[in-house]
Amino acid sequence: MSTHLKSTPPHVPASQTTGQKSDTASIIYTGVIVNRNPIITRTPTAFERAYYAYHSRIERALHNPFPSEFYFKSGSIIEGQFEKEEKVREREAFGRPVRRVEEWRRKLHEKNTAKTEKKPKAEARIVIPGGVPQPMPREHEADRTGDVHSLDRNGERNVYLLVKSKDEKGKEVWRFPQGAVEGDELLHEAVIRDLRSEYGTGMDTWVVSRNPIGVYRSGSSPSSSPAKAPVFFYKAHIIQGQVRPDGKQVLDFAWLTKQEIKPRTESDYWAGVKDLLSDF
Amino acid sequence: MITPLSVLREAKTLPLRVNQISVRYASRTENIADPRVEIIRRTLYPSTIRNRASPVGTWRHDVGRRLQKAIPSVQAHETIERAWLLHQRHIRRARLAELERKFNCMKEAMDALQQLDPRLYREANKVEDPRARSPKELEALKSLKGQEQRALESRIRGLFPRELRTPTDTPPREGWRYSFKPIIELP
Repeated sequence: MSTHLKSTPPHVPASQTTGQKSDTASIIYTGVIVNRNPIITRTPTAFERAYYAYHSRIERALHNPFPSEFYFKSGSIIEGQFEKEEKVREREAFGRPVRRVEEWRRKLHEKNTAKTEKKPKAEARIVIPGGVPQPMPREHEADRTGDVHSLDRNGERNVYLLVKSKDEKGKEVWRFPQGAVEGDELLHEAVIRDLRSEYGTGMDTWVVSRNPIGVYRSGSSPSSSPAKAPVFFYKAHIIQGQVRPDGKQVLDFAWLTKQEIKPRTESDYWAGVKDLLSDF
Repeated sequence: MITPLSVLREAKTLPLRVNQISVRYASRTENIADPRVEIIRRTLYPSTIRNRASPVGTWRHDVGRRLQKAIPSVQAHETIERAWLLHQRHIRRARLAELERKFNCMKEAMDALQQLDPRLYREANKVEDPRARSPKELEALKSLKGQEQRALESRIRGLFPRELRTPTDTPPREGWRYSFKPIIELP
């Protein structure tokens, strides 16, 4: 029976004790892909914008008349303002309305006779004190500077946490956060513990499920057993907070999109991990 | 020869409006207490006589003319619609292909886990019941009070957390919340 120690010996799977598998003590690693969900909606393409504009125009041509008497008090200032704005929008969509000749003549006659009595009409407008609050811009300061530590960068896309740490051989590599399963714990429990211990308690994360989303086995290097140790990846979302690396195992971190992760990781690792990430 | 089928065919050419009763709701000229009530009544119960375009109707007298102004031609409109559907098809196919790749990765991982360690595999396959509480949590709940208790109760395994934000057209005013202090250590 495997020992029930609370502290650190790496987990020896049950198959080992029955002596079925190979004699290398297999350590299981769990990796975590921490995703920051998109903050803003996607920018529509030029074709999409053109299509929506086309259909808005058709809607404007064919829609039922607006029940103005229900929404506005007849003769109110806001009704006048709305009708004025609607005229502008209608003119933008379809051009000026074609006037009949008699109507034009009548208007001209009115203008000529009423010249002396005409007074400038007082412009009645509704003014909101303090002004209308403007929304924040879609592009953030971090987009311009290219700050990879920032969680405001690339608001439209999914960004993932990549950390720089030392692998078994002591080489510094960029990879997803990884840790060994300790004692008797389950894989998803190992992930939660790992996130809390190494990345500080400054990050509010949610590990999505109990089952892994992918497995990576470095198949390239020959006989050495740590290289063949499988890494089971789990999906997590960051809700708030930021990574606070302890500096010992985790040297640096970055929040990157899928296309930005590719050049930073080793090609073998990338090939095993790329299908786990979202394209956009 | 008059067959039952020919009678049916004749019946189809009869106008469809035979059974409809068209109503013009007359306005109440005497005892008008509040004009707003009249407006609401007219909005809720519009006239069903099809001689005028109404906010809730389906008839306009100048549909043909307005449609001519709105679209370049029938062929152009159909081409635009086909282009849109093709565009949607590309997006849909790319999305489904991505999902399939992710699913295959998951399947591979579960198969590998099954080969490696049956116990971990069994535990990974368990469905999380949001109503169930582990014995550790029950004990923790007894000792905690107030804010800490609510923090423990808010994150339920098997359900997504409420604080996950849906994307909006513009980002929040304060941006990302970088300062976070956990209230309690969640299991």
